[in-house]
Order: sequence, then structure tokens, then C-alpha cells
Amino acid sequence: MSRFILWLRRYQRWFGLAGGLCMTAGLYLGLVKSPPDYYQGEVVRIMYLHVPLAQTSLFAYATLFICSVWYLWKRDPVVDNAAHAAAGLGVFFTAAALVTGSIWAKPTWNTWWTWDPRLVSFTVLLLILIGYLMLRMFIDEPERQARFAAILAIVGGVDLPIVKFSVEWWRTLHQPLSISPRGVSYSTDMLLPLAIMAVGVSLLFTYMLMVRTQLLYLRQLLEAKKGRLLSKAQL
Amino acid sequence: MSFFSAIRWIIWKDLLSELRSRENFSSMLFFALAVILIFSFSFSTDQEAVRELIAGVIWVAFGFTAIIGLGKSFAVELQNDCLEALQINPIPKGAIYLGKLLANVIFIFSVELLLLPLFVIFFNLDILEKLPVLLVIMIGGTLGLSALGTLFSALTVQIRAREVMLPILLLPMAVPVFIGAVEATRGLLGGAPFAFYRPWIDLLLVFDVIFIVVSFWVIDFVLDA
Repeated sequence: MSRFILWLRRYQRWFGLAGGLCMTAGLYLGLVKSPPDYYQGEVVRIMYLHVPLAQTSLFAYATLFICSVWYLWKRDPVVDNAAHAAAGLGVFFTAAALVTGSIWAKPTWNTWWTWDPRLVSFTVLLLILIGYLMLRMFIDEPERQARFAAILAIVGGVDLPIVKFSVEWWRTLHQPLSISPRGVSYSTDMLLPLAIMAVGVSLLFTYMLMVRTQLLYLRQLLEAKKGRLLSKAQL
Repeated sequence: MSFFSAIRWIIWKDLLSELRSRENFSSMLFFALAVILIFSFSFSTDQEAVRELIAGVIWVAFGFTAIIGLGKSFAVELQNDCLEALQINPIPKGAIYLGKLLANVIFIFSVELLLLPLFVIFFNLDILEKLPVLLVIMIGGTLGLSALGTLFSALTVQIRAREVMLPILLLPMAVPVFIGAVEATRGLLGGAPFAFYRPWIDLLLVFDVIFIVVSFWVIDFVLDA
């Protein structure tokens, strides 16, 4: 068994524990202790979930991108398992960020959805991640699946900043954003729980990534063993 | 064989087989006709609405047409194991990519040229003096779509469900190309001054260069035998 996988198995619980502690403290500080916002009132508290989720989905894509470059370079199947895991978690975190953002947008912007640059970029991010997972679904051979998926992740990684830039330009040429969450400047009472939550959700992602990488690795190992047994039985 | 003569041979091969079969060209053209027909039913055709929508209508039709052509670009190589022959051929993979890309641009752009008069007739457009700039925008948009599309065509042709996967992968990635092309076309056909939509044309060409460079760099891994 790969040494990397053994390392993951040994240390994963510490990441899970630290993430859980951070998130408990962050949620308590954010939902109970911190003051309501001057303009938004209690509604602002969804920020303590939404912002860390959005940051973590970018973190997930960065992980996917780095693992993909690494895979094409070294051709280590375990790195591909990590990339695969990061993409699956990326779908979860990106979708969660979009949903919480939409819930936050309804009371503050008075609409569920608007063609704000960040919303468009995150939607494209979600579509690219889903496309990545679908691509993997349609390839049986493990080596080719890993190689093609890595190519797609790298092209997507180059594409995403361009999407962000072009969408931002597209909206600003039309009209300035009339409503923006940037109008809110953070006080320390709000910054502290936000920072703790950001660390907590990132640790949660890392923990899930470690578990899921092992899962995908073991699944692949099982498939290979099954194939060997079947060919032996036929002989 | 030198790099550039390899590109020339790939283009020549694609053009020749297309001239003989006319498969790709006719399927793109008639698909686009059907799309335009549906569009002219779906939107009211009074001048005010047309001015708002025409740039989007043109590029949705061009985009769908391009997907049909791009999918066929590498799918035809499956017959007689031509794809494998291309893969084990001792010419640079980048030359195969660039040859296929240019052949695709030629096909798609010529279909677009044939569609343009139909837009003029169906939607009552006045484009005669705007034609040179419009052609530049069309080439820019087609090049950007084909740059990513040729890469994904080479990739999806080697997997199951390739007809489904090509648009699923291509359309989200091509968002910047669509934005650039639609905004430039909207400015041009809406009668805005050139300086107003010029940045979009520049931007479109920058996107084209980036997408071609990235695809050129990763195509070695896609066509790895």
C-alpha cells in the first residue's frame, strides 16, 4: 500500500478534530456572540457560512489543478485519486456556496439570482467540475481516465481566471453593480469568527479530501484485484 | 517532414476528404438552417426586438454549428483506425492539432459565410458597410471556439458518449469567447462607434491566442498513443 495513503490514514483524524473545533467555535462566535449588522441585521450571519464555503471551493479547484499538473508530470495514480477526490468535493462546496449565496441574496438584494460577475464565475466553475466528473464516468481504463481528467482540469484552471475577467468586464461595461456585498466593511467582532470559520471549513475540506482519496484509492485497488482474480479463474 | 509541411498536409487531407464526402459541411449547414428557422419563430421579428437579440441569435447559431463540425473533426478519423495512424505518426502532435484547428476554422467559417445572407433576409439586417469588421469578429469567435473545440474533440473521440461530452466540456469553457464575440457584434450591428466595441475585438483575439497556446501545450497528452 502506498506510503502516502498510510500517512493519510494516520493523520486524518487530527485534521477532522481541528476542523470540528474551529467550526464549533466559529459558529458560536458568529451566530451567537457577534453583533447583528447595522444595515442587514441578523441576516448577515449567513456570511459566516457562505464566505468560507466560497473560499474553500476555490481552494478545492487549486488542489485539483496542482494534483493534475503533478499527475501529468510524475504519473502517480495516488495523486490522481487526490485530484478526483478534490473535484467531487469541489462540486459540493461550490454548490453549497451558490445556494447559501442565493439565500443571502434574497433578503439583501431582493432577488434569488443576479448576473453578478462572481455568480457567473462560480456557475462556470460548477459546470466545469461537473463536466470533469462526467468525463471520468465515461472512461473505463484507469490510466486514460486520469490523463484526460488532468488535461481537462489544467485547461479549466487556465480558463477560469479568463472567465472571471471577461464576465467582470462584461458587466462593468454595461452598468456598475448597484448592489454589492462589498459595501459592508468588517469590524473585528465579525472578522474573528469569519477567520476562524474560514480555517475550520478549509480543515474540514482537507479532512474530507484525505478520507475520499483513500476511498478512491482502495476502490481502484479492489477493481485491480477483482480483475486479477477473474483472469485467474478463467485460466 | 517539417512542422509546417505537416500542418499543410493535415489541412489538405481534411479538405480533400471533405470535398469528396461533403458530410461535415452539409450536416453543419442544414443543422444551422434548422436553428435559424426555430429562432425566427421563437422571437418576435419586429425591428426593436431584433436589434436587442440579433447578436446573441447569430452566435448561438454559430456556436451550435461549430459543435457539430468540431465533433466530426476527429470522429471521422475513427474509420479504418486513422486516429491510431495519426497518433503513431512521427510528426509533432502540435502540428496535428494546428492542422485540424485550421481545417475546422475553414469549414466553420465557410458555413458561417453562407448563413450570413440568411440572417440578413430573415431578420432584415443592414450589414453591407459593416461587413469587414463583422468578418474579423466572426474569424475571432470561430478561432476561439475551434481552439478549445479541436482539443476537446481529440479528447472526447477517445471516450464513450462523445457526442454528449463535447458540448458539456466546450460550452462552459467557451464563455469568454461567446461574451467577446456577442458584445463586439452587438456594438457593431447596434451602430455604436468603433472605439466603443473595439476592446472586445482585441480581447477576443487575446482569448484566441491563450486558448491556442494552452491547447497546443496539452495536446501531446491527449494524443499520446
